[in-house]
Amino acid sequence: MRKHQINLTVNSQVYQLEVGTGQGRVNPSDTLSFTLRETLGLTGTKLSCDGGACGGCTVLMDGEAVLSCMLLTIECDGKIITTIEGLKDAKTGELDPLQQSFIDHTAFQCGYCTPGMIMSAKALLNENPAPTEAEVKKALSGNFCRCISHYQVVRAVMDATGKGR
Amino acid sequence: MRTFDHIDVYSIAEACTTLREYQGRARLNAGGSDLLTVLKGDFLADYPEAVINLKTISGMDYIREDGEYLRIGTLTRLTDLVSSPLLKEKYPVLSEAAYTVATPQIRNVATLGGNLCQDTRCWYYRYPRSIGGPVQCLRKGSGPCLAIKGDNRYHAIMGGKKCFAVCPSDMAVALAALDGKVIIVGPEGERRVEVTDFYHPTGNELAKDEVVREIEIPIKRTPTQQSFRKFTLRKPIDFAIVSSATVITVAQGICTDARIVLGAVAPAPVRAKAAEELLIGKPITEETDTAAAEKALVGAKPLSKNEYKIQIAKTLVKQAILGVTD
Repeated sequence: MRKHQINLTVNSQVYQLEVGTGQGRVNPSDTLSFTLRETLGLTGTKLSCDGGACGGCTVLMDGEAVLSCMLLTIECDGKIITTIEGLKDAKTGELDPLQQSFIDHTAFQCGYCTPGMIMSAKALLNENPAPTEAEVKKALSGNFCRCISHYQVVRAVMDATGKGR
Repeated sequence: MRTFDHIDVYSIAEACTTLREYQGRARLNAGGSDLLTVLKGDFLADYPEAVINLKTISGMDYIREDGEYLRIGTLTRLTDLVSSPLLKEKYPVLSEAAYTVATPQIRNVATLGGNLCQDTRCWYYRYPRSIGGPVQCLRKGSGPCLAIKGDNRYHAIMGGKKCFAVCPSDMAVALAALDGKVIIVGPEGERRVEVTDFYHPTGNELAKDEVVREIEIPIKRTPTQQSFRKFTLRKPIDFAIVSSATVITVAQGICTDARIVLGAVAPAPVRAKAAEELLIGKPITEETDTAAAEKALVGAKPLSKNEYKIQIAKTLVKQAILGVTD
């Protein structure tokens, strides 16, 4: 069966997107990262390698960390997606404690990998609010930073769990 | 990525008929973490006209024992293989192997069937169109294997026939050590193939209208020591340079049964039968272990740049048999 329309919930907002070519539509070959950035204008999700190797485009799908560059949007029908834009408090605009912790620890240099790092960490904390440092490193093993911010990232995540040094 | 028709199917039978309708011009998609790299690289001779989504088939993700067999559905995610209490307890070689695959994000979508059916990682085969590819090679149906004279550091050290790409699947190695069979469905019904026979030097056993439905593993009646080892330069994301899975039965200090399988050394997982025979009837000691590791690599014929894989393979076999942790 060919889909003519998909429903995508992104950061609590429901989008009905028509399948096809042209602006505002989803082409069958569109990746989720493309749809988020180019169709919905949510450019917080970053695209680095576009090959499933770097973790830069990580978002949450039904609460789990996934690579948005390696998913076809058309196959995400009915899914609930959270991007970096969806972490702040929708009413007050206050940052998620994890985001604040990254700022407090200066857990980035160029910042391009940061949204992916934060989304992977968020998926971990949703499932395991008090992880060990080893668990944090495992959960972030698919996120690469070429500026070597990894040390500060681990500290920031640990601090956000209340276990920081 | 160039576009394609996108078709959701709701049963394996529908997947087969859709494949048949497209006569080889459609590709199946499960998790997508391999297929999307293939489509983005655009290195195949024929870009598919259609992508057939299998994820719309319900009830294909399961891990269960039914008397004689452990059965795992083709759409079972690697994440679920890692966390399954049943696998951790009775088939740790499977959960250990699944854990070594890629990254958490990829394991959250990648499936067992997709892991078994993924395309080769040979860098000549995958040379992208955007930087001057695709390059023709024997696997694509024309010309010689470019790895023979080229940079073959990650290619086969045994079993290569005209094409020297290795099987990239870690799960296949672990499944081979458990005597796993791949259940394949086609228009004429079902058939079962040993995991080691599923791979051919230039592809796999699937015909153009066939789909992997399930993996079937005979249940072990006696406790076994199981272990999976994988050598890579980086721990996450990298494909194996060499891997090894062992399943060994020991009774009163004597090895009574053994499966020793090598991965990423050949176009298919390789059962080191001579090494298995050497161990059976003997105690597992440093001495028998070393002898088995030597035996496992007898007959290896490295190419110009991959002799180093032999030593790595011997070390992994030794570690796996002794249950050494790294």
